[in-house]
Amino acid sequence: MLFKKWKKDKSQKNKSLYPILYVMKTLKGYHGDLVQKEVDSLYELSKISSSFKNVLVETDNFQEKLQNFEQTFSSINQVSSQFDNVKEEISNSVDDAQNKVEELRCSSQQVETYFTDMENTFLDFQAAVGNIKRCMKKITSIADQTNILALNASIEASKAGERGKGFSVVAVEVKNLAEEIKALVAEVDNSIINMQNGTNQLNNSIDNSQQALEQSLDKVNDTYQTFHNITQAAEGAVTVQSDISKVIDTSRNELQILCRFFDDTKKEYQNVVKHIDWASNLGTTKSAMFEDIDNMMAQIPHIINELDT
Amino acid sequence: MKQFFGMSQSGNIEEAVRGLNNPELIMLLSNSEQFEEHVKKLEDLFPNVPSIGCIGMSYDTKVVEKGVGVIAFFDGVNAVANVLEEVSVMPVKYIERLEKDIEKVGASHKDTVCLDFCTGNDACVLTTIYSALKSQNISLIGGTGDAGKVSANGKVYEDAVVYALVKNRGGRVKAYKENIYQPLSNYRFIASKTDKARYVLGELNGKSAKQTYQNILHVTEKEILTQTFKNPFGKINGKDTCIISIKDVEGNALTCFRQVNDSDVLILLQLGDYKNIIKNTIQTIHNDFPHPSAVFSVNCLFRYLLFTENNYMQEYLYEMGKLGNHVGFVGYGEHYNNQFVNQSMTCVAFE
Repeated sequence: MLFKKWKKDKSQKNKSLYPILYVMKTLKGYHGDLVQKEVDSLYELSKISSSFKNVLVETDNFQEKLQNFEQTFSSINQVSSQFDNVKEEISNSVDDAQNKVEELRCSSQQVETYFTDMENTFLDFQAAVGNIKRCMKKITSIADQTNILALNASIEASKAGERGKGFSVVAVEVKNLAEEIKALVAEVDNSIINMQNGTNQLNNSIDNSQQALEQSLDKVNDTYQTFHNITQAAEGAVTVQSDISKVIDTSRNELQILCRFFDDTKKEYQNVVKHIDWASNLGTTKSAMFEDIDNMMAQIPHIINELDT
Repeated sequence: MKQFFGMSQSGNIEEAVRGLNNPELIMLLSNSEQFEEHVKKLEDLFPNVPSIGCIGMSYDTKVVEKGVGVIAFFDGVNAVANVLEEVSVMPVKYIERLEKDIEKVGASHKDTVCLDFCTGNDACVLTTIYSALKSQNISLIGGTGDAGKVSANGKVYEDAVVYALVKNRGGRVKAYKENIYQPLSNYRFIASKTDKARYVLGELNGKSAKQTYQNILHVTEKEILTQTFKNPFGKINGKDTCIISIKDVEGNALTCFRQVNDSDVLILLQLGDYKNIIKNTIQTIHNDFPHPSAVFSVNCLFRYLLFTENNYMQEYLYEMGKLGNHVGFVGYGEHYNNQFVNQSMTCVAFE
């Protein structure tokens, strides 16, 4: 009777304890799934952390490149500021050159004046030569007339007989003189012709020189204009430099805005990394808790089995 | 409170307890040949004095490698000693004993510490014990003994954890853990394919644990067995790191000296400047307790071997001795609150 009661009690106890064992087994299954999920999420967290750290590195690299931009802008500004010096030097050189050209122009104008004087002198000279020619002609005419007179004198002298011999000699001498005069006049004529040729050439040269001088003066004026253009261009370069400087300042401001944006973004990324690391750390404490849960749960089946027996 | 340390290199228990009077708690550190005999004799010499014991080396200013060491507290503590049995499967079966002892000794987190010696299944044991201690935030310091035997109150147990709850009537107590290893680069892994019963670690970040370890440290399979002295694993638990020693290679997996679980986050460690770290630990304890009445520590066997090989063990004990009265034992695994750790030092300081 007692044995039957004991057997009944045992069977009832078995039935009542079985659900506990069943729950334990199920909980263990859930625990296993939870642990696996934890493994997966920790792995993903570590990947996220790694990616963000790479992003931080890339952000740092990009910021460094932006800093280099800043450096480049400074260099451009520095270089373009030298435009001013260059313009100054060009201006000085142009002034210098313009002064020299002015001197050249003055000298050329003076030369032109001299040429004009020369021309006038030459004209006077030509006039004088003309006069000389006319005089030579007259002399030749006089010499011719003298020759004729000498001839007439010779004839008359011959008519005068003895008494005319001395006159005839004089007449011959006069005739000779006239001939000599004609020869000299002829020489002078040749010289005058040569001189005329020479002066014609000189005239041509003077004309050519005058033309060349005129052309030079034209070129001087052109040079003036060119210098003026250079000065204008140099002024223009300074305007360009000023524009470059303005653009660089604007770009620099934009760059600083960009740098500030990256600084802020970097702070946010660092925040994210901090939170990821914190989440990872929390994850590590969870694994210790999982171990504790497992350690406690693992004992229950043994206790229940003992109760069973 | 006061702390006594007595020893006998020859294993003479009477010699070891010479000069010990009115102890309030006794801790026996014996050898495997004489353990049971020492337990019985100690109970005869000091009947009804709470006691716990295990097999292992002890030390104060020197290490007792064989023979016997006796540590005792007296003059200012309330102590109880007891046992949780069947620890390999269900230590929680006896948890009521601990709950009652916590009440009996009037434990509080400021002045009470739990000291324990365990035969095995340490992680489960600590989870169980600490589930009762944490209600009062009571600290725990202890370790694993050798040869699977421990004793409590004159009786030897196999497959058990023996504990002593010690309340310091003279002031505060505080527990510490020291780690002489630091992270190696940025190596961080998630453990998987683990077997917690056999302490097997299968994979790290989805790859063979053995291969991963070898590839990073450039060691052969044979060299893995001794590499743990330089490069053990560390399990991250929030801001804390629990060291896991590597025991052996099993196929493509590694076996360890404590369990590793799936989802455990592990890092690779390297030996730090241990002399400096130890100085810092001593300074920390000194800052908290300018004049501690006692310091009781548990040093891992691997630390003992490392220090001995580097002719540092004597200097280490000398340095620790500067704190005041420093004694302890060499464990095969260390306990710190609910953490079962390897290659560490855990200690408690009494004001």
